[in-house]
Amino acid sequence: MSKDHLGERLSALVDGELGPVEHESALIHLAKCESCRFEADMMRRLKRRLTGLREPEPDLDFMGRLTSLSRDPGPGGRGPSEPPPGGAGFGFRPPLGSSRPLGGFPGGGAAAVETAAETGSARTGPARPERPARPVRRRGGDRFSHLLPDFPGGRYAVAGFAVATALLGTAFVAGGDAQDTPVVEPRLSDYAVEHAVTSRQIPVMDSRPTEVRPVGTETPPGYGSTETTR
Amino acid sequence: MSAGGPSSATSGPATLVAVLALCVVLLTGAACPDAHQVPAEGADDGMSVLRRAAVAGKETAYSAVREVTGAEGEAPSHVHVVHRPGAGLALAPVGEEEAAFVVRASSALESLDERLLHMLEDTYEVTDAGTADLEGREARVVEAGRADGTVAGRFWVDTGTGLLVGSTVYEVSGEPALSVRLTGLAPGEGDWPEGAVGGTPWGDALTGEERDGLREDGWTLPEHLHWNLRLVDARSTEHAGRRVVHAIYSDGLSQVSVFIQRGKLDTKHAASLRDGYAGTDMGGSGVTTQHDTVFGGDVGQYQSMWQAGGFVYTVLADAPAGIASSAVTALPGPESSGFWARVHRGMSRLGFL
Repeated sequence: MSKDHLGERLSALVDGELGPVEHESALIHLAKCESCRFEADMMRRLKRRLTGLREPEPDLDFMGRLTSLSRDPGPGGRGPSEPPPGGAGFGFRPPLGSSRPLGGFPGGGAAAVETAAETGSARTGPARPERPARPVRRRGGDRFSHLLPDFPGGRYAVAGFAVATALLGTAFVAGGDAQDTPVVEPRLSDYAVEHAVTSRQIPVMDSRPTEVRPVGTETPPGYGSTETTR
Repeated sequence: MSAGGPSSATSGPATLVAVLALCVVLLTGAACPDAHQVPAEGADDGMSVLRRAAVAGKETAYSAVREVTGAEGEAPSHVHVVHRPGAGLALAPVGEEEAAFVVRASSALESLDERLLHMLEDTYEVTDAGTADLEGREARVVEAGRADGTVAGRFWVDTGTGLLVGSTVYEVSGEPALSVRLTGLAPGEGDWPEGAVGGTPWGDALTGEERDGLREDGWTLPEHLHWNLRLVDARSTEHAGRRVVHAIYSDGLSQVSVFIQRGKLDTKHAASLRDGYAGTDMGGSGVTTQHDTVFGGDVGQYQSMWQAGGFVYTVLADAPAGIASSAVTALPGPESSGFWARVHRGMSRLGFL
């Protein structure tokens, strides 16, 4: 037996599927065979881990306690020293992170909820695995929830609107005039003369500069306007 | 049956070839631009006539009346011209000779004349069309034809003096767009307007490297404004310490000046801005372009000014309306001041558009 390792029977041993005789012989083999003993130990550890795993969930307890800090006082009023509704305020609760490990407590779930129901609101111990139902959490914690659209995907619509607004604002700022762009007044009179010279035409009448006219000549109507933007 | 056998055997491939040829024609016709919007090839036997006329125009003294006629319905303008070799060309409105303007002779203008002739030769097929009578004078006619066979321009060179005494620019439709005639031509020294205002082109001619440098700095200085409007000369000067560039575009028949300077218009121009443009509308009719209005000045003269992308553009053109419109629309369009226009501009600057 010590020569022949347990092989597939090792898995059955860990799962408790061996009969009494086989179980006894397997244990005897484990006492003698270090290799199978190590393998059996590893399989047990692996099985414990797999059993303890469940779907990861965000720690909503943390969010609930944060939002309870800014909760408005109810109609009955509540002094600043009074704990918030629910039995305990920030500081009265267990330290953050000690309430529930990621993945929940082993053996938690429905049984834990039942336990919480039995203990009522006197939850002062570190083990508080229950999670409030979704409607209760929204009423108590999210003070801005009434601003969100009451239809599926409303949060996404708000986020999209915010992104679009930011984009438009950025584009509006970027589309403005550069601060270093100088204000200029094009000298149309000089342009007209330059164009007339290169095209052998007579300059446009009202764009001819008076300052270059010969002395003694009268200024015809329309002359002298250096800007012809009429 | 024996007759039909070979016939049907050959008709199949022939039909296939014909269909393929038709497809090729249709596809190439759809892919190519308009037939008249490509340079015309040809012998250009009329260029020698025009070059002789250019030399005669530079060496001959004469006086005449230049009559400029625009599109149909526009009253012609009359300018008294006097040419004196080495001095230049004096121009004055008829009846206002005291208000003469002198285009002084310069090597820059001679160089520009040669480039304009090159541009005409490159763009059109320039042919010698024989002789004709022009207002009682025998003249040799030179035609500038487009690639589709239509006439884009026509020149009349006086056979007696060798001077260019007439020219007409035609629209694509064949209608005359701008005509110039010299009437009352009198060879010899005329009455030179002493003390008249004059000018020469701006002295700082921009080389190709300098133009490239400006483009790298954000200046819009295209080599082409339209398929036939090419940059023939670029000059620069300074106004208030800031550079102003004068770019001359031409097809050999018409000439468009584009003045570019960095900056923006003052807000006081807002009252005169019309859809982003400021223009002179004295005595001319509005010309509708593809995207806005260019206001006409005197016959064949158009002016427009606007700002775009941190630059102010001013276009002055002695050209038909179509050429002026093509030049204006080829440049960056005027900026609107509305909210969405600014957002659009910002999106473009951010690289989203």
